[in-house]
Amino acid sequence: MQYIDGGSVGYNIAVLIKVIPDLEQIKAASGTGQIQIEKVPLRLDILSEHAIEAAVQLKEKYGGKVTGFIFGNNESIPLMKKAYAMGVDEGLVITGYKENNPTLTASVISEKLKSLQFDIIVLGNQSADTYTGLLPGMIASKINARLIGNVLSIEIEGKEVKARKSLEKKIEVVKAQMPVVISVTQETNQPRLPPVMQIMAAGRKTIQSEEYKGQTPSYTLTKSRVAPKSERKKQIFEKPEDGIQAVVRVIKEEAR
Amino acid sequence: MQLFSALLIAGLAISAASFIYTLYSIFWNAVKIPEKPYRIKASIGRRAYITIRNVLLQGKLFKERSGGIMHALMFWGFIAFGAYSATFFARGIDPSFQLIPPGEIKNVIFLTVDVFALVVLIDVFYAFLRRWVIKIPRYQGYNGFEAAFILFLIATLMITYYALGILRIDGVSRNIPGAIMESIPSSYTPVTVFFAGLFPKATGPLSVDLYWTLYTIHALDFLIFLVYIPRSKHLHLVAAPLNVILSKDRQPAQLSTIDFDHETRFGATDIRDFSWKDYLDFYSCTECGRCTFNCPAYLTGKTLSPRDIIWDLREVVLAEGPELRSKGMDHKDQILKPVIGDTISETDLWSCTTCMACVEQCPVMIDHVDKIVNMRRSLVLNQGKAPKGTLETYNNMEMYGSPWVADPSTRGDWAKDLGVNILSESGNDDFEILYWVGCVSSYDRRNQEIAKSVVKILQKAGIKFAILGSEEKCTGDPAKRTGNEYLAENLARVNIDTLNKHKVHRVITGCPHCFNSLKNDYSEMGFKAEVIHHTEFINQLISSGKISIAATQNDKEEKFTYHDSCYLGRYNKIYEPPREIIGHVSDNYEEMSMNKSKGLCCGAGGGRLWMDETVGTKISHKRIGMASDINASTVVTACPYCMIMLDDARRVTGLEDKMKLSDISEFVASRLTD
Repeated sequence: MQYIDGGSVGYNIAVLIKVIPDLEQIKAASGTGQIQIEKVPLRLDILSEHAIEAAVQLKEKYGGKVTGFIFGNNESIPLMKKAYAMGVDEGLVITGYKENNPTLTASVISEKLKSLQFDIIVLGNQSADTYTGLLPGMIASKINARLIGNVLSIEIEGKEVKARKSLEKKIEVVKAQMPVVISVTQETNQPRLPPVMQIMAAGRKTIQSEEYKGQTPSYTLTKSRVAPKSERKKQIFEKPEDGIQAVVRVIKEEAR
Repeated sequence: MQLFSALLIAGLAISAASFIYTLYSIFWNAVKIPEKPYRIKASIGRRAYITIRNVLLQGKLFKERSGGIMHALMFWGFIAFGAYSATFFARGIDPSFQLIPPGEIKNVIFLTVDVFALVVLIDVFYAFLRRWVIKIPRYQGYNGFEAAFILFLIATLMITYYALGILRIDGVSRNIPGAIMESIPSSYTPVTVFFAGLFPKATGPLSVDLYWTLYTIHALDFLIFLVYIPRSKHLHLVAAPLNVILSKDRQPAQLSTIDFDHETRFGATDIRDFSWKDYLDFYSCTECGRCTFNCPAYLTGKTLSPRDIIWDLREVVLAEGPELRSKGMDHKDQILKPVIGDTISETDLWSCTTCMACVEQCPVMIDHVDKIVNMRRSLVLNQGKAPKGTLETYNNMEMYGSPWVADPSTRGDWAKDLGVNILSESGNDDFEILYWVGCVSSYDRRNQEIAKSVVKILQKAGIKFAILGSEEKCTGDPAKRTGNEYLAENLARVNIDTLNKHKVHRVITGCPHCFNSLKNDYSEMGFKAEVIHHTEFINQLISSGKISIAATQNDKEEKFTYHDSCYLGRYNKIYEPPREIIGHVSDNYEEMSMNKSKGLCCGAGGGRLWMDETVGTKISHKRIGMASDINASTVVTACPYCMIMLDDARRVTGLEDKMKLSDISEFVASRLTD
C-alpha cells in the first residue's frame, strides 16, 4: 500500500500487454506455403486483455493506479487506446521490438518496472503468437518479485496477495508478499466491453512512447516459416444416420 | 331549481378541477423529467392521415376484429353521446340555454345519440362477457377492478339516459325547466320509445322525484367519470389521441439517435432518459395486451412482456414524478432509480427480437422496441454489459467486419469462379447496380447458395452488377439492435465511405437486415441511393419479362408457404412480391397461422441469432411447427437469418425429410427458363 498521485491510497499496478498480428487473418501463400504476416492487422493478445481486466478489477476493488506497458513498435502505439478504454490509467509503449526474444523482452520491461516500484505486475501466462510462456518467470526473477502463475482469482490484504490457482485436480490457494508477478489465463475473467465514455476519453489521452535502441541478439535462427501441410480427406456425410456410423468407423479405423 | 343549478356548477367545478389538476401533474412529469429529445417531422398530410385513420376510424384496432369492433363502437358511441352530455350540463346550469338550436340537425344528432346509447350498452355487456365469461387470455390478471368500475359507470350513464327518456316520453319532465330533448319528436328516439313501451306509464308526484333521482345519478356518474379518467388506465382517452397525432410519421419508426459528441448518459437508465413522447406512450397504454400476445418471446414461454415494460415504466414515472415535483429537480440523482434491474429485468431486455410485432399491433402507436433498445444501450454503452455471445459479436464486428470470426479477405471467395465483378479485386467501377451480399451469405456455406442464386438471376437478366468483396463490412445491424450504437455508427460510416467511393446509386441485397440498415438507417446518415431487396427486384425482373420461370416436374406435388421476415415485412412493408413470385409457379399455396403483419419472427432478430435461447420453446421451433401444421412441403423465406433459424429448427424437430426450405432467390434460380 502506498501513496500515489499525491495522496490517494492504493496499489501501484502494472500490466504487460502484447500486440500481435491477428492470427485469424494470417495466410499461407498458395504454392510455397510461406506465412504472410506483413499486412495482417494488429490486435491486443487475448491473454493481455485478460491481464488488463484483472489489473483493472484490482484497481476498482482496492484502489490504485494501473500502468500499461507494451514492447512493440510504432504500429503498436494506437493499440494502447484499447487498454485505456478498459481502464488502464497510463501507458508506455517501448518501440524497437524486432523479433521474438523473451530474454530481451524481459530485460527491457524489467528495467522500466524496477524504476517505478510496482506492487503488482499482471500479464498473460503466455501469448497467442509465440506460446513461450517464459516472461512471467523471467520478469519475476529479474525484478526480484514473487511469481504466482495461472491464477483464477486474486485478493489483496495489506501487502499480501492471496490467489486461487487451478491445478489439474485441485484448487490451490497461494499467498505472497508484494511485489508480486501474477500471470492470468483465459479462465481468470471475461475481458470487459469498454463503456463508450471511456472509449472516447481514451481517444483523447496521450500515450507515451520511447525507443529501445539496444541490440536484439538472435539466439535462434528462423530458417523458414511455412504452413504445415494438411491433407484433408474431404469426405462429406449428408445423412445424419449414415453419417454418424461412417464417422465412428473412420475414427475407429483411421484416427487411432 | 337554482339550488340544483348551484350544486351542478359546484360539482362540475370540483370534478373539472380534479381532472385538470391530475392531468397537470401527469403532464408536468412528461414536460419536466425527460431529457432525451424527440424528433418530430412536420409532414402534416401524413399526420392528418394517421390521425383520421387511427383515431377517428380506429384503424389499428381492427387488427383484432372482435375487440376492434367493440372498441370502435364504444368510441363512436361516446362521441355521439357527447352531444347529450354537453346539453345536459348546459341546460342544468342555465335552463333557458340552447346549445344546439331546435331543428332537423338537432333531431338527427339526438337520433344518433339514441341509437348509439343502445350500441354502447350492448357493447358494455359484450365487454363484460369477454373479460369475465369468455375470459379472453390477454385480459386476465390485469386491472379487473378498473375495467369493472368503468364499465359500471358507462352502463349507468346509458341506463339513466334511457330512463330519463322514458319519463320524457311519459310527459313527466315536460314542465321541468332545464329538462332536455323536449323538442325532439319521439320518432327520432325510437329506442327510447321502444323501452317506454315495456314499462307502465309513469304518472303522479313520485315520477317527478324519480326524474330528479335519475337526473342526480346521471350527473354524479358523469362527474365521477371525469375525476376517474386521468387516475386510471382510462387516461388513454386523453393521451392516446395525442400520442397518435404526435407519433413519428412512419411506423415502425427508426430508432432514436445518439449524439456521441454531446451526450454523456447513453440509452435509458432511469426515467429521465426518455423523451416526452415516450411518456405519452406510457400514458396511452390501457394494458390491452395486444402487444404481449403477439410477442414471439412471450408466446414461447419467456418472461418478456412488452405490455409490462410499458406499464412498469409508467408506474415508475407516476411514483417518482410527484416526489420530484415536491423536492425539486436538483434531487434527480437521489430520487430517480435505475429502471433496469428491479423494474425491468435484463433477461427480458435481451429476450426481445426487435420483430416489431408489438408495435405493429398497438392501437395507440406505442413504440415498445425503441425503449427496449434504449435500455439495452444503457447496459452496453455505459456499463459494457451484454450476453457473452453478443460481446463476442462486437469483437468480431470490430476486428473482421462480421459478427463471426471470419477472415475479411475471403469475403468474396464464394463468387470467385462465377464471373462476378468483385470490386475489392477488380477496382472496376463500371456497373449499374451493387449487389450487397451481407455477412451471412458471404461466409455461411448454406447461405452462400442464396448469393449464388442471386448472381445466377442477375446474370440471366443481363444486369451489370458488382459486389464489394473484402471491402464490404457488416452493416452494423446486430450491434445497433443490441444497443451498441457506437459500433453500429462506426461500421455505417466506413460502409458509407466505401459505397460513396464506388459511386453506388442502386443497391440490391438479399438480407432484410442489411436492406433495412442501408435503406433506412444509412439514409439518415447521408447515404443516398435506391436500395431494393432481392424479392422486389426479382419480382420486377419477372414481370418485366427479363427473366422467366416455370414450374418443375416436382412442383406439382409441392405445397408452398412463405415465412415473412420481420425486417422485410413489418419494418419495410414488403409482403406481396415473394407471394407473387411463388404464385407464378404454383397455386398450391397456404399461409401459416401467423402471417404478413402478424408474422411470427424466426427468433434471430435484435442480435438474438448470437445469443442462447434456453427458456421455453425455441421461437424457430414454434414457427416451423406452424409450417408443419399446414403440411407445407416447401417453406420459402427471403432472409438469411430466417434461413439459419428455420433450417436448424427443421433438422432438430425431425422435419428434414418432410420439409424443404428455400430462399426466394433459390426458388427462382432453380426454375429459370430460357
